[in-house]
Amino acid sequence: MNSFGSFAYCFHQGIKNIRRNKLFSIASVATMTACLFLFGIMYFILINVQYMLLEAETNVGVTVFFDEGIEDEQIANLKQRIEAMEAVRSVVYKSAAQTWEEYKETHLTDELAETFGTDNPLEDSASFSIFFESVEEQTETVAQIAMLPGIRKVNDTEDMVNTLTRLNRILSIGSVIIIGLLLCIATFLISTTVTMGVSIRRKEISIMHLIGATDIFIRAPFLVEGVIIGLLGACIPLSILYALYYKIIELIASKFSSLFSTLNFVNTSEVFQVLAPVSLCIGVGIGFLGSYFTLNKQLRNFRQL
Amino acid sequence: MSDWENVPASELQEQKIQESDPALESVSENSSRAPINPLDAPVIVLEHVSKEYDGTTENHALTDVSFSVKKGEFVFIVGPSGSGKSTMIRLMMKEISPTEGRIYVAGKDLAKLRKRQVCKYRRSIGIVFQDFRLLQDRNVYENVAFAQQVVGAPKRRIPKEVSKMLNLVGLSGKYKNRPTELSGGEQQRVALARALVNNPMILLADEPTGNLDPQNSWEIMNLLEEINRRGTTVVVVTHNREIVDRMQKRVISVQSGVIVEDKKGGYGHE
Repeated sequence: MNSFGSFAYCFHQGIKNIRRNKLFSIASVATMTACLFLFGIMYFILINVQYMLLEAETNVGVTVFFDEGIEDEQIANLKQRIEAMEAVRSVVYKSAAQTWEEYKETHLTDELAETFGTDNPLEDSASFSIFFESVEEQTETVAQIAMLPGIRKVNDTEDMVNTLTRLNRILSIGSVIIIGLLLCIATFLISTTVTMGVSIRRKEISIMHLIGATDIFIRAPFLVEGVIIGLLGACIPLSILYALYYKIIELIASKFSSLFSTLNFVNTSEVFQVLAPVSLCIGVGIGFLGSYFTLNKQLRNFRQL
Repeated sequence: MSDWENVPASELQEQKIQESDPALESVSENSSRAPINPLDAPVIVLEHVSKEYDGTTENHALTDVSFSVKKGEFVFIVGPSGSGKSTMIRLMMKEISPTEGRIYVAGKDLAKLRKRQVCKYRRSIGIVFQDFRLLQDRNVYENVAFAQQVVGAPKRRIPKEVSKMLNLVGLSGKYKNRPTELSGGEQQRVALARALVNNPMILLADEPTGNLDPQNSWEIMNLLEEINRRGTTVVVVTHNREIVDRMQKRVISVQSGVIVEDKKGGYGHE
């Protein structure tokens, strides 16, 4: 048995099947492309949201505001006590004057800022930005800080973390449903393509059976067809996603600017280290399994033993 | 003279099967039909074979059929439509299995062949049909080469084998033609070349002249006789009385699934 010759023949026949079944093959590739493109986008969002969650938990500090009329000495004392806490990495003091200056720069025009003269409308907004060693102890430490005398209010990252966690969960469930549906459609289309191929080659298959072709020799062209469709359906969206990664992320970020504007994104190579093999496995896997199970059903008619 | 012409195809194929598939050999050893004298050994044996379709006795295609065909023999199986002739061919091809009885081909009990052994078994048999069953989208050469590709023949050997077969059937000048550009007789020749290209020990022909005019029918029959002379056992299913009467070979007559006559000579029984 000349294995290479048989492989070359089956591969060639697989390509021929695709050409004969052009319309169905294109539809299958297109559906697979759409499915894996959406999968890629969902993955982009999920991985970036998770990354941002981690960033938010570790790098975004808790802001602590003081009681009205608190003395500088008391503030210095509070700073020492907070810094002494085990879970706290650093404490940064921001005076009321600094806060007002930053606010003017970011939110007010020069003309409008001048109307305030030397007044500071945020005179009670001096604060500490507290950064933690680990996320796990954050909630407990924040509760301890809130109990300290002279502390008026603690703004922690819990709300933001909760929002991102909710978004993450909704996206996960939504993406699983959408991708599941699209994968079903892609499998159905591959199955239809293979069924059409078997029907077109019915005569050829029956001759193959009679002249002693092995089962794998008869199946191989159809499996090649399914795998090529799956491979194309994976490579096309991966190329588009690779080229457009930052544009897509920026576009999504702009839609949720309140959440994403200050955060960093995962870099392309890190994303595609996972996305590329997973997409290829899904594409090739669905192509192969879709063809395999369809062939089992279709070729049963040829086995009358 | 070519290698194929020097060595009878049946011997070549028998050697090939035994070398390539020890499983088949063991089936052969276990069989009660071990040949005593290779020259007289039957290559096809049907023992009390019955076949019912759909498992009902009303659909009896064959009833208690027994006969054997010796190596190198030329046998006609004749009878009216629906008499069970084609069922015999399908049984010998192991396309279907008998409801009762045993079938031995080349010493192998077909009932004992496992699924994966069936394809190797079929390579020892060539088959031609009334409707030729050629691939319309391929030319003459490709149709014949197809049989070699299917069995995984080395690529460099295929052109040599195919041209040898096309020479034998007299179609070497039309190797580029598509089946639609050929006459019925020529198409049947292509089918014959395809059936013979893998050097089968047995050639089964199911109504090979059914779609042909008398002249083309004779050409095909002459070709089958020539193939038989070179050592291949030939079994032809037909209801063409004229051909059978003229060729004076062994004739097995079947009616309503029962063998009514088995003798050398003409068509005989009506």
